[in-house]
Amino acid sequence: MSVLKVFVPWGLTTPERRRKAVPFVVVVILSLLYPLFDQAVGLNYIDPMVSILILVLLALGLNIVVGFAGLLDLGYAAFFAIGAYTAAFLTSPASPLPYGTNFWVAMLLSFFVAMLFGVILGVPVLRLHGDYLAIVTLGFGEIVPRIFLNLEDITGGSKGINPIGKPSIFGYTLEPSNPVGWYYLIICVGILSIFLINRMVDSRLGRAWMAMREDEVAAASAGINLMRTKLLAFAMGASFAGFAGSIFASRFQFIDPFRFDFTISVMVLAMVILGGIGNIYGVIFGGIIMASYDRFFAERLTGWFHTVGTATGIDLLTRIDLQNSRLFIFGAALILTMLLRPEGLFPSRRRAAELHVGEEEPEAFAGGQPVLQEQQTLYDVEAERTGERP
Amino acid sequence: MAPRHPSTRPRRLPLLLLAVVLLLPALVACGEASSPTASSGGGGGTTPTTASGSPGAGGDKGVIRIYSSWPLTGSSQKLGQDMVDSVKLAIEDRNGTVAGYTIEYVPLDDATAAQGTWDAGKEAENANKVVADPDAMVYIGTYNSGAAKISIPILNVAKMAMISPANTYPGLTKAAEGVVEANEPDVYYPNGVRNYCRVCPTDELQGAVAANWAKELGAQKVYVLDDTQLYGHGIAVVFANTAREIGLEVLGGPEGIDYKAPDYRALMTKIKSLDPDLIYFGGLTDTNAGKLVQDMRAVGMTDVMFMGPDGIFNDDFIKAAGPAAEGVYATFGGLPGSELTGKGADWYRKFKEKYGHEPDAYAAYAYEAASVALAAIEKAGVKDREKIREALVNTKDFDGLLGTWSFTETCDTTLTKMSGSQVKDGKWTFVKALEAGV
Amino acid sequence: MDQLIQTLLFGLSNGFVIALIALGYTLVYGIIQLINFAHGEIYMIGSFMALTVITTAGVSWTDPVGARLVVIVLALMAAMLFAGSINFLVDRVAYRRLRRAPRLAPLITAIGFSFVLQNIGIWWKGARPLQFPALLPPTNILTDWLHLDTTITFSIPMLFVMVVTVPLLLLLRWFVRNTRLGKAMRATAQDRDAAALMGIDVNRTISLTFLLGGLMAGAAGLINGLYNNQVVFNMGFFAGLMAFTAAVLGGIGNLTGAVLGGIFLGLVGALSDSYLQAQWTPAIVFAVLVLVIVFKPSGLLGEQVADRA
Repeated sequence: MSVLKVFVPWGLTTPERRRKAVPFVVVVILSLLYPLFDQAVGLNYIDPMVSILILVLLALGLNIVVGFAGLLDLGYAAFFAIGAYTAAFLTSPASPLPYGTNFWVAMLLSFFVAMLFGVILGVPVLRLHGDYLAIVTLGFGEIVPRIFLNLEDITGGSKGINPIGKPSIFGYTLEPSNPVGWYYLIICVGILSIFLINRMVDSRLGRAWMAMREDEVAAASAGINLMRTKLLAFAMGASFAGFAGSIFASRFQFIDPFRFDFTISVMVLAMVILGGIGNIYGVIFGGIIMASYDRFFAERLTGWFHTVGTATGIDLLTRIDLQNSRLFIFGAALILTMLLRPEGLFPSRRRAAELHVGEEEPEAFAGGQPVLQEQQTLYDVEAERTGERP
Repeated sequence: MAPRHPSTRPRRLPLLLLAVVLLLPALVACGEASSPTASSGGGGGTTPTTASGSPGAGGDKGVIRIYSSWPLTGSSQKLGQDMVDSVKLAIEDRNGTVAGYTIEYVPLDDATAAQGTWDAGKEAENANKVVADPDAMVYIGTYNSGAAKISIPILNVAKMAMISPANTYPGLTKAAEGVVEANEPDVYYPNGVRNYCRVCPTDELQGAVAANWAKELGAQKVYVLDDTQLYGHGIAVVFANTAREIGLEVLGGPEGIDYKAPDYRALMTKIKSLDPDLIYFGGLTDTNAGKLVQDMRAVGMTDVMFMGPDGIFNDDFIKAAGPAAEGVYATFGGLPGSELTGKGADWYRKFKEKYGHEPDAYAAYAYEAASVALAAIEKAGVKDREKIREALVNTKDFDGLLGTWSFTETCDTTLTKMSGSQVKDGKWTFVKALEAGV
Repeated sequence: MDQLIQTLLFGLSNGFVIALIALGYTLVYGIIQLINFAHGEIYMIGSFMALTVITTAGVSWTDPVGARLVVIVLALMAAMLFAGSINFLVDRVAYRRLRRAPRLAPLITAIGFSFVLQNIGIWWKGARPLQFPALLPPTNILTDWLHLDTTITFSIPMLFVMVVTVPLLLLLRWFVRNTRLGKAMRATAQDRDAAALMGIDVNRTISLTFLLGGLMAGAAGLINGLYNNQVVFNMGFFAGLMAFTAAVLGGIGNLTGAVLGGIFLGLVGALSDSYLQAQWTPAIVFAVLVLVIVFKPSGLLGEQVADRA
């Protein structure tokens, strides 16, 4: 089936494929070299990077659902939780399951368990449209952690589960105190994910997603099975959250239900949109930038002001204390980014092309004022407007 | 779409907005800094604050850095800032030097702006950061027991002394049947040695004390609620178990409330129909204790008693509950600030003088934790993590603001003196000293 | 039996509070399909304004009825105007620039504003919950006025919430259906380009909708304050979520539906609190919601284009 084709080795046979390989190679090289750069400059950003990259991994998965298939999912953290708890159940000595599974096996199983739940939750709800789907997924996002919290006998409730199995390679165990090791592990999983997602997008399935996103009715009349196509998007998206969840659990050696609340779903969604919906590399870089606003920029800004103030002798700057204003700074950064780049920091080429038929420049906003263009919708607003149901 | 004006409107607005946006918090910050009640210095993370009173009197043996880690953003912000201020006071009281070393203090935040509560990534990051700093000798934290579950093992491997002013979950240091998991506490100490101590009484002590006090107050039928969090639920479970043991009738619970919900009247209607004498809530001011009390009164339970742990023992609880707070009971693992004598009274006066408001209950613990840490540095006399850790866990007969106490084998406080307070005339009023039955 | 009636009454009152927030939400939501994460924060800001007015005036429930009424009206005006103008400004500064942007761009902007407004809330009133003075007498209408022999409480604040919501709903419905502006709103909601071709100033219409939505949020802020007597800087998040849920549940852009959706959520929550374990309430509310939507995919009342604003 089309899914299987994903695993066909990537032959760089055509110029098209060679062109597409370029950003992939760039990302791989950049990410592998980053720790050296970090060390050389003394940035000490590896540890925050690990947390951020876990979110980016989530964003890659959500991008399949929102970006490729155009389904708005507001409860993505549910699959993150399912992945994390699967890994915890399988590997933790504190879990109700009798034996400790190897972390790598658990990680793989988390992938498939999350996918399974994607299918289970997807079947009844995927015939819903637009915001009805959004609200139902939001519901799942609230229900799933609540179940983990309340089933105290099995999950430990608010006590959480710990410790969780650590990954080991050739007898070398990855400890929580080794951020660089975790960084490389996530990079490896991330590269694998990008590769898989790239293959999916190029496959028949990927083209079906795009077609469906742009026009469901046309896609259906072209012979695309909407239900199955949506379900595959939902399931594939969920499965990557499983990856992220298992890594999260193992990285911190402890999970409790409060790690997977609505804020995570919102943050990851924001990463996808801010990065450039539908563009894998946009989502990666945009996601890193956005999470950095929250975890790094807002916190360090005070220090930077002080440094500048001391250097320039401006007394005012050294007295600024932005500790009380971090939420404000983060929010303002989000707003400004969207105002300056409404299509995301790195919009998808294909989407841009689809949206700007007849225009030469994909950068519609180059002139400052948005050029008159077809109103872009994430999904079929037209059908909702008139109340028609296909 | 409305007819478009072809005139190009350059993107001046966002840029203007940017300027305003960046200036606004700065202005607010300046305004706050000039007011006398403002607390100075937040955890910028990069700039250590030397709390030394007289810079000239700095130590000549070098710098020892103390870090703290708890939420300084979101709903715990005020509490976190109180604790930071309290640690600063402790350092100031020693003029910023101990055993010839200059003490530098760096408050770290373990919450992210967006989430507003502690974040696993931030906590691990803080622990790793401190381990990587060769001058770092003591880690004061955390506020949330869940966060401690992440950082204790990391610091344990590095043999770094860690002392918490607020973690009350018993499993971090000791086994307690039915309350903690089977693999606790050993799971936190991969190194085999203890590096983690705490100055506050654990849930199973405070919960039990509360249950005994409830009986003393004449309660026979109790209903137990909690906020589903680790702290609140843990203490509520202990309260319910103890209450059953000492012959009280537990009508229901521990039942978890959704602390984000705006209303609990329906829940209180159910509880009212069971006719309890006392409702116990394991939770905090920040997890809606105030609203719970209001709703309890609103459905007509005006003479039913309401009791909570030290998480509601602060002035903000009274502000949150309003007149309904009248008569509410709270336990606290020590004597309240206003009842302290000697060192404690001194601290209480200084805190109020310097920061202009009543200290939160946890601020006292934070001062105590910092003082013990400084005493351990003094006793060790050298800048050596292992020696300082050893000195800390072997602290005996420490003369602190909560009294004279030692660390037990599990590195918990030997202090069993607790206190019960009640809201009278809109103020927390000391009622009696309570003894933990251990 | 008494417990059931009492629970239903409390659920109903809570539902009306949610409905009030949802009314403002659904106005904006109906016209530009924006999942406005900042709406809850506008509501929070409104209630903070009301609280400021009331504490500045320094009245409490011991003051004479007349004084209290005057202050309540003043607070209502202040809260509505303040929340309305903030919502208007937010649209003017940000959303308007994103009218032609991808649909999810304003969503992220709304999340951004939600954070910004929450932070403003912290600066304003601190990070901890505050009591909102109970200016309405807690008189139980059933026993004190009607002299019924019952344990059921139906107090003045409960009556107040219900009495305020219904006329507001009717007023909004009338406004949307019968006035020129309302017609413009409906036309804009149906087809923005066609509306523009018919000579409707789309931008102004949308701005007015934001103003109206903000006014409603401000009113809801005061009314919630008087009924629930508690405000906190992050109360808007949960409220916004509930309002969004109620709005979708009722049928997108359907005003009556939004009110019914709110009541439905309130009732389910109260019943779950009272007859099941409270820790399951959020899960049950959303589980029922999922079931309703799966079996009735266009909301309780369906989307009514005629009502759409």
